[in-house]
Amino acid sequence: MSTYVLNLIAVRLLIAALTLLIVSFAVFFATAMLPGDTATILLGQAATPEAVAGLRTAMHLDDPAYLRFLRWLGGFLSGDLGTSYVNNVAVADLIGGRFINTMRLAGITTLFSVPLALTLGITAAMFRGSLYDRAVTILTIGVISIPEFMVATSAVLVFSVYLKWLPALSFANDVTSVWQMLQVYAMPVISLTFVVAAQMIRMTRAAVIDTINTPYVETALLKGASRPRMVLRHALPNAVGPIVNAVALSLSYLVGGVIIVETIFNYPGIAKLMVDGVATRDLPLIQSCAMIFCIGYLSLITLADIIAILANPRLR
Amino acid sequence: MTQSATLSQKFGYRFSWVGMIGLSIMLFWGIIALIAPHIIPHPVGEIVDEDYFGAISSRFWLGSDYLGRDMLSRILMGARYTVGISLAAVSIACFCGVVLGMTAAVVGGWLDAALSRFLDAMNSIPGKLSGLVVVAAVGSSITVLIVTLAVIYTPGAYRFARALAVNINTMDYITVARTRGEGIFYIIRSEILPNITGPVLADLGLRFVFIVLLLSGLSFLGLGVQPPYADWGALVHENVGGLPFGAPAVIVPSLAIASLTISVNLLIDNLPQKIRDRNA
Amino acid sequence: MNDRTLNWTPSDDAMVENAIRRGATRRELLHMLLAGGVALTASGAILGRATSAHAATPKSGGHLKAAGWSASTADTLDPAKASLSTDYVRCCALYNRLTFLDKSGVTQMELAESVESSDAKLWTVKLRSGVTFHDGKTLSSQDVVFSLMRHLDPDVGSKVNSIAKQITGVKAVDPLTVEITLANPNADLPTILSMHHFMIVQDGTTDFSKGIGTGAFKLESFEPGVKSVAVKNPNYFKSQGPYIDSFEYFAISDDNARVNALLSGDIHLAASIKPRSMKLVESQPGFVLSQTTSGNYTNLNMRLDMEPGNKADFVTGMKHLINREQIQKSVMRGLAELANDQPVSPASIYYNAELKPKVFDPEKAKFHFEKAGLIGQSIPVVASDAATSSVDMATLVQQAGAEIGMAFDVQRVPSDGYWSNYWLKAPVHFGNINPRPTPDILFSLLYSSDAPWNESQYKSKKFDGMLVEARGLLDQAKRKAIYDEMQVMISEEAGTVIPVFLSNVDALSGNLKGLEANPLGGQMGYAFAEYVWLDA
Repeated sequence: MSTYVLNLIAVRLLIAALTLLIVSFAVFFATAMLPGDTATILLGQAATPEAVAGLRTAMHLDDPAYLRFLRWLGGFLSGDLGTSYVNNVAVADLIGGRFINTMRLAGITTLFSVPLALTLGITAAMFRGSLYDRAVTILTIGVISIPEFMVATSAVLVFSVYLKWLPALSFANDVTSVWQMLQVYAMPVISLTFVVAAQMIRMTRAAVIDTINTPYVETALLKGASRPRMVLRHALPNAVGPIVNAVALSLSYLVGGVIIVETIFNYPGIAKLMVDGVATRDLPLIQSCAMIFCIGYLSLITLADIIAILANPRLR
Repeated sequence: MTQSATLSQKFGYRFSWVGMIGLSIMLFWGIIALIAPHIIPHPVGEIVDEDYFGAISSRFWLGSDYLGRDMLSRILMGARYTVGISLAAVSIACFCGVVLGMTAAVVGGWLDAALSRFLDAMNSIPGKLSGLVVVAAVGSSITVLIVTLAVIYTPGAYRFARALAVNINTMDYITVARTRGEGIFYIIRSEILPNITGPVLADLGLRFVFIVLLLSGLSFLGLGVQPPYADWGALVHENVGGLPFGAPAVIVPSLAIASLTISVNLLIDNLPQKIRDRNA
Repeated sequence: MNDRTLNWTPSDDAMVENAIRRGATRRELLHMLLAGGVALTASGAILGRATSAHAATPKSGGHLKAAGWSASTADTLDPAKASLSTDYVRCCALYNRLTFLDKSGVTQMELAESVESSDAKLWTVKLRSGVTFHDGKTLSSQDVVFSLMRHLDPDVGSKVNSIAKQITGVKAVDPLTVEITLANPNADLPTILSMHHFMIVQDGTTDFSKGIGTGAFKLESFEPGVKSVAVKNPNYFKSQGPYIDSFEYFAISDDNARVNALLSGDIHLAASIKPRSMKLVESQPGFVLSQTTSGNYTNLNMRLDMEPGNKADFVTGMKHLINREQIQKSVMRGLAELANDQPVSPASIYYNAELKPKVFDPEKAKFHFEKAGLIGQSIPVVASDAATSSVDMATLVQQAGAEIGMAFDVQRVPSDGYWSNYWLKAPVHFGNINPRPTPDILFSLLYSSDAPWNESQYKSKKFDGMLVEARGLLDQAKRKAIYDEMQVMISEEAGTVIPVFLSNVDALSGNLKGLEANPLGGQMGYAFAEYVWLDA
């Protein structure tokens, strides 16, 4: 089995590298299609033709875009993320600390939300049709229907402005103790959990219920297995594939999609960095961020695929 | 088998009223969307209240927004956009995603690999970037908006449907059908689809919620509904400053979104058995 | 300088606004300058002291945290490239200018001891002695030459390149004297030097990330797009200030989040809050608002060389269709002053008070639209969140149009790239113009035939001639007369509707003292850090 898994991983890594390449081309073409370049955008209202021409020369933007892209790609392959057009800082330095922040927030949110969501989803499926199930459904959909910025803003209003329990801003770098860490991360993690947990809860419930309806689980029920036991022992293993996919899709949001939480809590992560990059057409920065998002997404779904295959003996 | 059937029937019967509630709320918003232009008390762009974030009053049933415009009129008109665009987009996204996902799972091989990687790549391109590119390339219209939303949510629907279908595809009865010499279309339609309908519909319900919310996000990229109209998400966003005062301008559109999304999901959860489950 | 007053209240606000409107001190000053080439130092200092007679006693110490509204990886400590308000605030804390504008709009000396000229063409700048940079080097004329000349180098990408172009030479006469030669006489030079981009940096600087200046604070850390921390400069050349020990500045781009951070006590100052947030701040005890109206405006531009702006009746119709009072009242919640379709603000001594805003008159507008044959057509109007409140203004115009049968198709386009894609280009679109210190700059940038940002493509030989004539005129009264007429011309002929001048409102916690309104912009013209203190 281990050679099988190793082979599988090797093939998937190869395919992932190919996907990365496709994405980098796509991102490059997308960026190139956007009107305006770094020089015109930085100068904004002060963009007279001479000023733009001067700045373009100074920023080495005179080369055609595809040449600059190829240069970036060459550097990327040798482990160099390039230099930001906008402020001449190495992209690796710009990303460095923020990447750790993003991963930390994503990690804490995962630790918190995945067990919660799986528990709620599986128990809702166990007691399908009960008042509990209905309450979970309504709460889940209700919670996810509230726009993210409203959850975050309300949380700040209640816990920071009126109760003064928690700081309104989350500067990850200022954390020195566990207590501070709890204070800083409480609201961002809860806001994000609201967003990502719903999909996991709903999909887990649906997938488990679906397997309950398959003949062999029904056989188990006929043999007199209790409903919870039946779900855990028989239905759940067969529902692992869809569940891990739902989890992976939800969590991939945490890598690049947390812009609203980053903005409202002033949390310095890479989603904001990407937005800045797009706003200033900073190709090396956009590309590097896109690669990080893509690698994050691909690792999650590849992991999900592998778990799904391992969980279902027939897929091997 | 019998025990399960009776259980389902019992629950199915007891549940249907919840489904009915969901259906009626959906129908209510659907009708509002159709007749909105004829029943709004004030033009949506007109400033009718001197104050802003006004409270509920006999003159303004749902208060006024940040400029002093009538919230009731804005919400009624917003129903057109939120209900119409979201339903259209979610149907396209799930149809494409599910059909492609099932095909990939059944056919397998290079088609599966190519489709999966292509859609993975699509999903990896940052949404804001693609949104801006769409605006720059084709401009903004309701059709473009629906297609963009559908394209954004197709890869997710595909991935989930494929994961479900791959599991089913290994079942004995599929192998039986294959050895019978059934075509791909038959297997997809008659063997796979009925067995994944439940989770696929649940996925559709969720995607509907996401699309309702993303709609307002796109209007900030210039791709959304154009002023003076606004979808419900945009109404929440432009009035979020009224949150500290509990202004109806921010509370009511949030409730409208929740009522619509919850009712869609309740309806999906409580669909009659023969649609939802293969065994009925 | 020693600007200290009590906390800002609405009555102070009115008082200062009146003082600025009267412009008496400024006029006297300019008169003196132009008549005999008198230095601005003495008079300016006296005025500065006189206004702060009722000041409270500042306290030293404390860590100040303040938040602006815009930050990105493009944040810079290079004054020439500064473009966001956060850049200005940081530069003001780290560097100094030769001159600056005080709260009454009067030019005061900072690093310069005097800026003098007898013909307004050749200027002599005397520098203060004994001023040192953060790294210990002494400020000399060479630094000033470098700081000014770099704006002419296209590779620098200076934001004020087009203004700096009138400088033909900067020469170090001796270590403390600099001579500036202009292409043509311009009596406004001392005021121009007070612009934030003309801060003095060290000769030969190429890496600005260290922020070595002469300013009140030394840079401790700077992360573009995240935050910066600076500590008190113990060797600051001014006898008073800075009062706070350290100064932390960052941006919270979400308006509600910025206000909430202030109300929760996380920060002491939230810059530029939206009119609709005022209710919340006012409802909480212990917070104050500081309002500045400094000539910033959002305007509707109709290109005179494209359909439908090439029909004069369309332009006239639009000027009557825009409901200025409603914009002031509903969109800006009173935080605006009515404007009359020309860019010189009431804060300027050159403001033409005779020129009244056009009256909102839909029937008259309808008459003009009918005359232009446009009733029944749908006119696209491009608006964007990039131009403050322009989407709201556009919907007002749209609604007013709907009532007289004139259809406007409001197109809300992305903020991203708005200034390079839509501004100046679309036939009917919105713009947003930041305050500029003199009418000459405003007119040269926006309305002369060869203006780089001629928003409506207004071309008038007569206007161009008057602009050059006024710039060379040494008689201030004659100059004012010409500027008065030019304002009328813009208001009547150009395709720009300037409905209101927008106010900026900063919200502060009650223990932050010493902040005053300044005509250069909010946050005390972005320079508040060295003047404020924290009361216990």
